[in-house]
This record gives sequence, C-alpha cells and structure tokens, in this order.
Amino acid sequence: MPDADRQTAGGPILLAVVGSASAGLAARAAEVEALARARFPGREVVACVTGDAGTGLVPHGEAGGGAPGTDRGGRVDTVAGGIPGPASPLGALLREADRRAAPALALVAGQPREDGIDWLGALLAPIVEERFDFVCPAYRRHPAEGALTTAIVHPLMRMAFGRDLRQPLGGEAALSPAFARRLLADPDWRRDPVHAGSDAWLVAKALTGEERLCQAWLGPRPRATADPEEPSETLVRALGLVFRELERHAPRWQRAGPPRPVPTFGDGGFLPGDGPRLPAERYARALQLGQRELGEVWGLVLSPSTRLAIARAAAADPVALDDPLWARIVCDFAVAHMARVVEPGQLLRSLTPLYLGWLAGFARELDRSGVAGAEARIGAICAAYDGERHHLVARWRWPDGFTP
Amino acid sequence: MWDETGRIFIAAFRRTEEAIAGLLPGLLAMLAIVLAAVLLAILVRRIVRRACERLELDRRLRAWGVAPPPAEGRAGPSHLVARFAGWTVLAIGFLAGLSVFETSTSSGVSARLLAYAPHALIGTVLLAAGAGLSRVVERSVLIGAVNMGLQSARLLGLGARWLVLIVATAMALEHLGLGSTTMTVAFGILFGGIVLTLALAVGLGAKDAVARSLERHLPPAGEPPPARPDEHDVHHL
Repeated sequence: MPDADRQTAGGPILLAVVGSASAGLAARAAEVEALARARFPGREVVACVTGDAGTGLVPHGEAGGGAPGTDRGGRVDTVAGGIPGPASPLGALLREADRRAAPALALVAGQPREDGIDWLGALLAPIVEERFDFVCPAYRRHPAEGALTTAIVHPLMRMAFGRDLRQPLGGEAALSPAFARRLLADPDWRRDPVHAGSDAWLVAKALTGEERLCQAWLGPRPRATADPEEPSETLVRALGLVFRELERHAPRWQRAGPPRPVPTFGDGGFLPGDGPRLPAERYARALQLGQRELGEVWGLVLSPSTRLAIARAAAADPVALDDPLWARIVCDFAVAHMARVVEPGQLLRSLTPLYLGWLAGFARELDRSGVAGAEARIGAICAAYDGERHHLVARWRWPDGFTP
Repeated sequence: MWDETGRIFIAAFRRTEEAIAGLLPGLLAMLAIVLAAVLLAILVRRIVRRACERLELDRRLRAWGVAPPPAEGRAGPSHLVARFAGWTVLAIGFLAGLSVFETSTSSGVSARLLAYAPHALIGTVLLAAGAGLSRVVERSVLIGAVNMGLQSARLLGLGARWLVLIVATAMALEHLGLGSTTMTVAFGILFGGIVLTLALAVGLGAKDAVARSLERHLPPAGEPPPARPDEHDVHHL
C-alpha cells in the first residue's frame, strides 16, 4: 500500500467482532477493543459488532442499548470458515472502514481465546507496523482437525494460485485501507452477490491482486459455537466457494508459476497430544459403499482409469486413496463443477465417500506416526497436487463435450 | 336398355360430381388450415428449440440427472421438446381442419378431440415433469443415503423415484379422466406399499446409524465421557 494512503487514513483501527447472537458478543468486543488499545498504544481503536438486521456495524457500546454484555450481534460464526457472501460481515466492515478512514481493519472471531497469546497483535501488526495489505490467519490445531483444509483447500489453492497459505479459510482477516477500497469498488458485489464477501472470495482477491500478503499464526483456533457439521455439508459449503473462485480467476491462475512461500509471522506447528480419534475403518467402509453405489455419478466426472484406481483402492487392505489419485480426483471434480456436468450440490455431496476414503489413510498414518509425521504428510499432499497442475489446466481449457 | 344404363350412369356420375363439388371448398379449406398448421408447427418448433438452447435446457437437465449424457444418434431433450411442440401444433391444426366439414360425424369427433386436447397436453406435461423430477429425487436420495452410510442406498433411491413416478402418473391419469376410482385405489395400495418398503429399508439399514446417534446424544448413565474426543467433535474445515 502507498505510504500516503496510510497517512491520510487517520481514523481508528476498526475491528468487527463476529460470532453467534447468544455469545455475549458486545462484552467480548469490549475486551477485544481493550486488548487492541493495550497492544497499539496511542492509536484509536473501535470494536464493532453486527447490527440486529444483520447489516451494518454497530460499536459495541451502542449494541444492546449501550450496555456492554448484552447479547446482540452477528449472525455468523467466522470460526466455522467457508462463510457465504450474503452472511459475511465483510461488506459492512469495508464500508465502515471507508467511512471512518481506518488505517487498518480486521474481522475477528468472537469466541474466547487462550490466555497469554498475543493473537490480536499477530493479526494486526503486519498491517499497522509492517505495511502488508492482507493478513491471513493460521491456527495451531491437531492434524486430525481441519482435514478438509489439509486434503483440499490448502494444497489446491496453493497449487492454483502459487502462494502457500496454510489455512486460507480461517474466517478471520486483517486488511489495509487500500486493499479495502479496492474490494469495496469491486464489481462482484453487484455481479455475483452470492459469493462476493465470502472468505474464499476475499482470499482469492488477495492472491490474485498486487497487494502484499502474509500469514500470521494466531495460536490455538477458537472453538466454534455450533456443533460440527457432517462432512458432506462442509464439502458443499466450503468447497463450493473455493471452486467458484477457481472459476472466477481461471485466466489468472492458469498463468501462475510454481508455489512460493508467503511471509509468515508467529510460531506455527501442530498442537501436541492426542487429537480427536478418527474412525478409519468406518471411513473405509464409506468409500466402499460409495464405490458400489455412486458409479453412475462418478462416471460423469472421473475418467475410467481414475475409477479403476478408486475401485482398486476400495478393494485393497487397508483401504486408502493415495495422494496423487486423490489430487487427480479433486481436480476432476473442480473441472466438473466449472462445466456444470452435475448439479453443484449433488456433485460436491458425491465427493464425500472419496474424501472419507482419503481420510481413512490419513487417520491411519496419524495413528502410526503421530503429530511428528504430519508436516511431512502435508508436504506430500502438496507435492501430489503440484503434479496434477498440468492435468487441471489441460482439462479446464477444453471443457466442451466434457467426457472423462 | 343401353340408353337406360347410360342415363343411370350419367346420373350417378353427376351425383358424385355434385358431391365432390360440395366437398371441394371444405377440402380446400381443410388443406389451407393444415398447411397453415404445418407452417406454424415449423415456426413453433424453431422458437422452442431456440428458447431451449438459450436456457441451456440440455445441460441443465443432464446436470440434474434428468437426461442421460449426450451420445451419437440420441436426440437431446431440447430436440424432443421442440419436436413435441411442433407435433402438438400440427395435431391441433389437423383437428381444426376436420371440423370444417359439416358432416355430423367428423365435426363431432373433431370437436370432442379438440376439447380433450388441453387435458391431454397437461397430462403429458405432468407425466414428463414427474419422470424428470423422479430422476432428480432418485439421485439426491441415493447420494444422501450413501453419505449416511445406508447399505440399501440404491433401493431407497429407486423407491423414491417410483414414488414420484406413481404420483405423477396418478395425477396425469386423473387429469385425463381415465379410470378415476380404480386409479385412486390402485395408487393408494401401491404408494402405501412402497412407503412401507422404504420405511423397512431405512429402519433395517440405518439401525447402526441410529444407535451411534443415540449413544452420542444419550450416553449410558454412569459411563465416563470418552478420554479423547471422537469424530463427532471434529471440524473438517
């Protein structure tokens, strides 16, 4: 961002604290505001929550009749990730930041955090002190958590856009005013209101623009308020957004070079100890069932050789999809989503048994090698996706007469 | 005798001539109507074809699983719809042409057929829509059942498809006014039978899933919580 822009942005640092309506959001916003004032002394800070109508931001002191602690606020849970455009508070945050001439703005989850970690400083300092334009958060989690990010979102976006963001759909974000203005003027708000403002949309704009981006490790991920979803629902919600951004930026990512590292702040890595127990056997049975019953749908998406490889993997002992096969499957589903070969909801739901089949092998490896081997495993998945780049580009360019 | 025969022959010939002369204007009028109907059918067919292409009907129906993938020698859905629209216009034009004749039989038949045409058309549309919807429902139920881990997923999908088909057929037949009482009874028996079959299939196929769900939400009394969180506590994103 040009220095002149930051100097003219003389307003307060603007924070949108987002969470479910019943989570004492106004009180949480007051805490976050105090935290930011302590971390950036001498700077004005305003923490807002989403208004009752779900549109526009209200300073936390004005929420619930001016009494902090009143439950009144946002309607979405950014921690869940994969936030669709209409539900996202990003548009309201951008407008408010523009109105207040904020020198930095951030979307922050309203859930409580672990004490003793400067997560807000880690998120905002690259904008305020290091002159970055976009900060993507990353969280310390057990490798068994966020398997969809490990299996698809991270390696696919890394391979396509050529930048290595570990958790692209983290939900939170920090932006510079110049980037905010560019986003606010983007025609997608009018042309594609269903997707504009989603977290995948925001990250894709940062990855394909000229802005300086970085990622910051913010410590352990705050727990989402809502119960975890079924894998098929998460696939439809999050992967639909990611595939849509691949379609939007196809001319750009097809020319992207090999993946480059992104400037990273904070201490990363996985949480030690026992994570959630993933039932590898049940996941393996899900793949076998899908292989038996969903051949008709998969036949519209995958090539015969890929289907044969899946059949072999489902019949093997132990059942598992290897990384190159998995990467090819995901690339083929992305092309089918773009070519509208199968209705998008049905397409993404039909990916579930394949995802669980991959997860079966991943779970077994985690049990065997523990947290220590997880980093190497992620490197192998990324390498497998990189190997499928030519396949993806070739199939994407000739989608007419989609016959796998 | 030869004179008499000649006279009768000429009289018969004249009567035929007069009859033809009487029919000729009607025939010409019918030909004109049929010709107009042919032209209108060609026009309607082209308009419908173009509208279907503009709406990407083929792609949408294939995406939803209503139509099979394209294959050589197989007409696409938009082609069939356009052909159906053209033939419908032609049939109505032919019936309108028949009604030109003032004979009681032809005008009566054509009038009854013309009055019946809207019912037949709506019945056909109901049946076609039901057939299409049944395929969408079948695929959605199949995928959903597989994701729930139900072993009888294909049976469920097939059952759901036949349910929709039977409802659509019953509605179409009722609209056509064919065997209304018999159809209602047959529909009730068939529908009830399929619902019972599906309920048994879900009950038997999903008992493990139900048991797991109950264990998760209603753990046995006195049992300590699990030391490690399980799959139900995992956020996939």
